[in-house]
Amino acid sequence: MCAYSIGMIRYYNILREKVQKDRGTAIVFLSIVILLLDLVFRLIIGKNESQVVATYLWDGLVVGLAIGLAGVGLSLTYSILKFANFAHGDMITAGGFSGWVAVFAVAGVGKFDMKNLLLVGAGKPINVTELGISVSTTPVIILFGLVAAIVGTILLTLFIDRFVFRPMRHHNDGITLLIASIGIALALRYGLAFVFKTQNRGLTAASLTASYSVPVGTGSVQIDLGEITLVLVAIALMVSVHVFLQYSTLGKAMRAMADNRDLALITGIPTEKVVRATWIIGGALTGAAGFLITLERGTISFQFGWILLLFIFAAVIIGGIGSVYGAIAGGLVIGLTSTISLIWIPADLANVAVFSVMILVLLYKPEGLFKGVTTA
Amino acid sequence: MTLLNVKNLVAGYGDLRILEKVNIIVEEGEYVAIVGPNGAGKSTVMKSIFGLTKYIDGEIIYEGSDISKFPTEEIIKLGISYVPQNENVFPNLTVRENLELGGYTMKEGKEERIQELFDQFPMLQSKRNDKTYTLSGGQQQMVAMARALVLSPKLLMLDEPSAGLAPDLVKENFEYVDRIRESGTAILMVEQNAKEALRRCDRGYVLVQGEDRFSDTGEALLNDEHVKKEFLGG
Repeated sequence: MCAYSIGMIRYYNILREKVQKDRGTAIVFLSIVILLLDLVFRLIIGKNESQVVATYLWDGLVVGLAIGLAGVGLSLTYSILKFANFAHGDMITAGGFSGWVAVFAVAGVGKFDMKNLLLVGAGKPINVTELGISVSTTPVIILFGLVAAIVGTILLTLFIDRFVFRPMRHHNDGITLLIASIGIALALRYGLAFVFKTQNRGLTAASLTASYSVPVGTGSVQIDLGEITLVLVAIALMVSVHVFLQYSTLGKAMRAMADNRDLALITGIPTEKVVRATWIIGGALTGAAGFLITLERGTISFQFGWILLLFIFAAVIIGGIGSVYGAIAGGLVIGLTSTISLIWIPADLANVAVFSVMILVLLYKPEGLFKGVTTA
Repeated sequence: MTLLNVKNLVAGYGDLRILEKVNIIVEEGEYVAIVGPNGAGKSTVMKSIFGLTKYIDGEIIYEGSDISKFPTEEIIKLGISYVPQNENVFPNLTVRENLELGGYTMKEGKEERIQELFDQFPMLQSKRNDKTYTLSGGQQQMVAMARALVLSPKLLMLDEPSAGLAPDLVKENFEYVDRIRESGTAILMVEQNAKEALRRCDRGYVLVQGEDRFSDTGEALLNDEHVKKEFLGG
């Protein structure tokens, strides 16, 4: 009994010392433990809690993968071209609209007036249900839209690189490129707003999109085909990027350039060609992300990419800027935080939770979760 | 036969002139060392040959043609490789990947060539799947040299290969260079460790303030009273 209490006192003293040394960490740790206990408690006694939590998990996964996929493109260009591309958000929007235009043109040709269909100028909006597009009913058109989004965004990024970034690249100055990218972001955004107007545009008809109930506990989780498409395509693209970077010669050259650009040049790697390849792959991922997010939401507006950009940057920073795997992990952290936090706080505060988590990660791991794993 | 003939080369960076009439000759398979005080422009000679500085005047004749205005990519294809002094490996790539990238421009025979280098430097084979940043300084230097050798260059330029190495590794490193030279590759080397470099090379140049002040066989330079007193520390 005596030995036992002496042992307890010793542990107590060690703990006390640690808490006194670093109160912040103690509070964070305690909060996490309390939240987890609370979650377990709710799952045990709550009636529909398992359904709610499962729904949050699924939604968090969907949002997280969307942000992660968008973040991979940003991270690639950051690590290889050495600047934070603020036009990335609006390139996502451009990707979404490329796919949207392609889908509407193919689905509505002959049935509707092309001017109304694409809303160039002040057209009459088309009823999406009337047009009848969804992953379930018109999968081929949706696939065509995805391809169009990818191709459209690649062409756009190559155009921007050729006429804006490339002439500036020789200054070797990240700040100049960054500021130029803000200019491109604004020009792109309001260019899109001029062409497509500022109101929300529908893409798919929610009533036509197949939805499945997956039983969880006493309830069930609703999963629709738009979300499933996003999850599957995003995972497939991420795995492809991984395989490409790890095993292809061009992928290795990209990693080499991320490591040391001058040495890449000295080694005989055609650096301009690698830069172009980076834009092509980054553009493809960005366009795909834009279209998949539009597909999942069912609607598109001229500034959705810009609004998303802050979350994408947060994801990339949490993961460790420049790391492709970090972008995916960071996207999942953000997506899951934004939904799981709803168990305890109102939806309006979800973003507070997201950015608090980002600040916590930066406090404890300033270099991000995937430290030193540049690009690969 | 003369492989490289640098004639009255003037070069620098931007408005800065570093080299004022440099003359250097490297015969096929020859081992040439450039020594001299800090700031003499030793590294700049190599960078200029490799197309990395601003060319101002003079000639760089390689195998009979003037390459002074060639871009780096072309110069590599002609059979010149260069190992810079610092940051000369890709740290986050494996040893094997470093060598694969060294042969980026090779159409065929890359695998065989890498295997040859693995046989020549067994350490590289045993560490081939390790990220290069986990290797010691001496080992990284070896990766850097092997990377430059994948293309089987006729001329290998080494910028201070022994800088920052522990004394016993310096000797080992010089022995590796000897071995590369024995395989027929001509070597142009800049060295801070002047005595050791001159002892091992065929010919040496003493570069002072952007000019080649003395040139002779390594042996002769080592015994030259003036060179000894001024540049080799007595």
